[in-house]
Amino acid sequence: MSDNKQKVVEIDRSAYEFKDIETEKDFYRMEEGLDEETVLKVSAEKNDPEWMRDFRLKCLKIYNEMEMPKWGPSIEGLDMDRITSYVRHKSEMKNSWEDVPEDIKNTFERLGIPQAERESLAGVGAQYDSELVYHNVKDEVAAQGVIYTDLESAMKTEYADMIKSHFMTLIPPTDHKFAALHGAVWSGGSFVYVPKGVKVDIPLQSYFRLNAAGAGQFEHTLIIVDEGADLHFIEGCSAPKYNVANLHAGAVELFVAKNARLRYSTIENWSKNMYNLNTKRAIIEENGVMEWVSGSFGSHTGYLYPMTILKGDHSQMEFTGITFAGKGQNLDTGAKVVHQGVGTTSVINSKSISKDGGIGTYRSSVVIQSSAKKAKASVSCDSLMVDSISRADTIPGMDIRTDDADVGHEAKIGRISDDAIFYLMSRGISEEDAKAMIVSGFANPVSKELPLEYAVEMNNLIKLEMSGH
Amino acid sequence: MSDASLLQVKNLSVSIDNELPILHKINLDIKPGETHVLMGPNGAGKSTLGYSLMGNPHYCVTEGNILFDGQDITDISADKRAKAGMFLSFQNPYEIPGISLSSFIRNSFHAQTGAPVKLMAFQKSLKAAMEVLSMDEAYADRDLNVGFSGGEKKKAEILQLLMLNPKLAILDETDSGLDVDAVRTVSKGIQEYQKKKDGALLIITHSTKILEALHVDYTHVLVKGKLVCTGDGSLVDEINANGFEKFISEAE
Amino acid sequence: MNKDLNMKVNVLPVLTYGFLKVNDSTVSESDIKIDSVTTPDASKMPKGIDVKRGVDFIEAGEIFIKNKDRIMYTTGDFAGPNADTSGRNENQAIRTGMGIDVDELMISAGAKCDVYTVEENVKVSEPVIIEYKMKDGEGSISSQVIHAKKGSEISVILAYESEKEFGGFHGISTRLLAEEDAKINLYKIQMLGDKFIHFDDIGGACFKGGSINISSLELGAKKTWTGCLVNLAEKEAELTMDMGYLVRYDNFLDVNYIADQRGKNTNSVMHAKGVLMDSATKVFRGTIDFKNGSSGSAGDEQEDTLMLSPDVINRSMPVILCQEEDVDGRHGATIGQLGEDLLFYMQTRGIDEEEAKRMMIRARLDSVARTIPDKELEQRVIFYIQNII
Repeated sequence: MSDNKQKVVEIDRSAYEFKDIETEKDFYRMEEGLDEETVLKVSAEKNDPEWMRDFRLKCLKIYNEMEMPKWGPSIEGLDMDRITSYVRHKSEMKNSWEDVPEDIKNTFERLGIPQAERESLAGVGAQYDSELVYHNVKDEVAAQGVIYTDLESAMKTEYADMIKSHFMTLIPPTDHKFAALHGAVWSGGSFVYVPKGVKVDIPLQSYFRLNAAGAGQFEHTLIIVDEGADLHFIEGCSAPKYNVANLHAGAVELFVAKNARLRYSTIENWSKNMYNLNTKRAIIEENGVMEWVSGSFGSHTGYLYPMTILKGDHSQMEFTGITFAGKGQNLDTGAKVVHQGVGTTSVINSKSISKDGGIGTYRSSVVIQSSAKKAKASVSCDSLMVDSISRADTIPGMDIRTDDADVGHEAKIGRISDDAIFYLMSRGISEEDAKAMIVSGFANPVSKELPLEYAVEMNNLIKLEMSGH
Repeated sequence: MSDASLLQVKNLSVSIDNELPILHKINLDIKPGETHVLMGPNGAGKSTLGYSLMGNPHYCVTEGNILFDGQDITDISADKRAKAGMFLSFQNPYEIPGISLSSFIRNSFHAQTGAPVKLMAFQKSLKAAMEVLSMDEAYADRDLNVGFSGGEKKKAEILQLLMLNPKLAILDETDSGLDVDAVRTVSKGIQEYQKKKDGALLIITHSTKILEALHVDYTHVLVKGKLVCTGDGSLVDEINANGFEKFISEAE
Repeated sequence: MNKDLNMKVNVLPVLTYGFLKVNDSTVSESDIKIDSVTTPDASKMPKGIDVKRGVDFIEAGEIFIKNKDRIMYTTGDFAGPNADTSGRNENQAIRTGMGIDVDELMISAGAKCDVYTVEENVKVSEPVIIEYKMKDGEGSISSQVIHAKKGSEISVILAYESEKEFGGFHGISTRLLAEEDAKINLYKIQMLGDKFIHFDDIGGACFKGGSINISSLELGAKKTWTGCLVNLAEKEAELTMDMGYLVRYDNFLDVNYIADQRGKNTNSVMHAKGVLMDSATKVFRGTIDFKNGSSGSAGDEQEDTLMLSPDVINRSMPVILCQEEDVDGRHGATIGQLGEDLLFYMQTRGIDEEEAKRMMIRARLDSVARTIPDKELEQRVIFYIQNII
């Protein structure tokens, strides 16, 4: 495995940045901007049940009343009046890859998505702009009772009540302005239910592609892992680069029941005009385990702090993340955790790399409530500065309210030492490769948590970023 | 042995970061297969010479040049020197978290030869080399030098030497900080390298323990940045008996 | 004279999540009471120090304004951190940890500033000692400027005390300038009564090779705000901040420490260690800011908090901002109660849990107390600590 990771593979950015020509004929595109009429149109497009339509309107009202966040990167470049909230291909979602329209299929083929499914996945979903275009679950997984489908279809099945009782309860629209926006215009995304005691051995995957210029993507992912069940869910994101701002304000709500385990892995490679204001949140019951693995490479501006609420006693959370901020990027990432239950534990490991004027910020919060007796939290964040025109900031916060908590925190900022580079070069490795190797090694704690093909992709992205293209 | 030189150092003067010179007009000639020993008291500039030959950018050549295999390498970078067939065993090898020892060697091998690495054959020869050095196989999968003891770090350097098979190996204080058994093991590794036809050595040391089991062709004494004396292997014994005092007064 | 608005103080250099409630703090108008605006006479004044008493607050700040270009020196013009708040205090003569609202209070209340100057190459080893013996119900503010010229050295101890049951208001602003190779040692000891409202604001700058060392002990008072910002403006400037605190009852301590590193090869060390008891609240903000041009610099921030009650609230914001490649910045925090292993070890030596706790409290505070360069005062502080635990 490690052999593949370190192998130097020539890749070119065009694998992600190619554009597909969308013709008027094949795509339905809503007008730009956001008002009640737009929201009602989205609702009508989706054939929403009544409660959902009312919910959208309530969210719009909250959105209009809320202020922009005062902290974090500037989002001045994002003009909501110029964002199209809904774009879809004029075709229905398919369960067979052969039936997906040719142009969309080509896009995903170039990204290697169905191939990945053939090789090692239990199920795949693919979202193109605002709608899911493809969904498929392996028969043996479906036979265990695992549900993996789009949220809209699921709302019309026996799972309707389950969805209604969970949807946007973990991330309420009042949480922040973009959560409200999400509630108003959300579209697409996945619903996963893993029944009691079912362990899904191979990962489920979801791939998001935002192809339309000046569009927003607002998919909603709702995953419920029932008692004693086990799931690994992977999401990948990419988009071609346009000169206008694109917006991604998705929401991920994860419910991990007693004794259950969920691993949620993300490789985010949105194009560098994307404003990624994504909200991810998990709530964990007794003895449950939540694991986040997160690689952030793309986007122009990112706000991303997966949050875990350790509600049940002895529930656990582990976050492993890496952020690579290159030219023109302002990536503000990290994690949030709230300890509520007795004996809960959290481990946050974060790495960030800043290069070519990029701004990488690690931001986090660890809250230990007074009910969380004997809680343990440990945070470690390392930042690597590759040059002197970039920024690497570390802004962690802690609020500890019980005396028998055990909290440790460590942060380091530094650079690649010249001596280490010379050591590698003395073995025949070029300077550029030496730097890339050291950065890959720095990122290794994250890549080793990923399935092989994603680890390879991540190392390719690092290689690409380090070579300065 | 062929008559053509492998390494020629001509009138080499070196300073650090453009400050005071550390080496003055060094001349050295190493032919394929020869074993040279560079001795001298602490602070004489021995390690500086090793770094300069390998092309550490901190050390600035202010005068003279270095030829390797007939090619002037004075201004080329360390990776190109390695590709040309030079190797430096570091006195304090660096810890690189996240890269395993075996994957590091494989990467280096690939970088030097440009050829794809045959995994099975590679693993077999790595295992054989680790056996020579009495290294626990588990070290192959550990992060490079991270948490290695002083002795294990030195063994890992010699392991790289055996795997990369350079034309010239410069060993910088490879014996320092090692106990008797470890010196013997490392020495065994060096003999293994010598067995290879035409493998030349420049051994930098201020003690003589490591030389006991090796055949030495030439001994050089470096004092205060100057080569003050060159002799055959017997010079080592003389220094062993009398120390450097005689040479220090000569340098003044 | 009372100010007509609440003071917004200890603003975090970069804003973060609102729910953490660490972005700033408020000194409410109703807490502020001012009867006196002068510094008391020094109880010890060694030779070699020039003192100007009762200088106007703005006039005393002119030495900093004159040197502003040197103090605020940076190379390059790159993007600042996200949600940067540093612009807020631009109009201070020298930026301080608590910020511009303290200056405004000082100015509007007509605070008088004592200016202590040491001439070039004069090294005064004996400390200046200024003791505030506060009466019950008394309100006062005062201000000092300490100016150490090239190659000089000065030590100043400021001690604030009152009877345990007393209350009142006490606010202080201390501004520091250490020129080339000069050294300022400042000791602040707060042993105020249980009902006192207290703030202590520090701003400073070091030129090439200059150093500022600040030791502070926060042991009493109901509500305490303390802030300190030092600019390491030129190469090889150094800052150490060593703080010990003890917060009891439902008392409140709010801290904002900032090392602003601009010169090459500068060094900052920030250590905060202390104890929280009963239902005390503490907020600690510590920021190391490596500005562009500070290559070769190091910054180290360590926080060690002993929590001795289930009802305490402990908030920490250890921030590192970095815009320079060749720097070494680190921070660490350990927060929790007495380790079980340590407790067991002490018990095997015959020390019970209560005594073990007392020993660990003393260990944290005495280490700062012992740096006080005046035997009599040091003993008084150690005695005070022993009495309250």
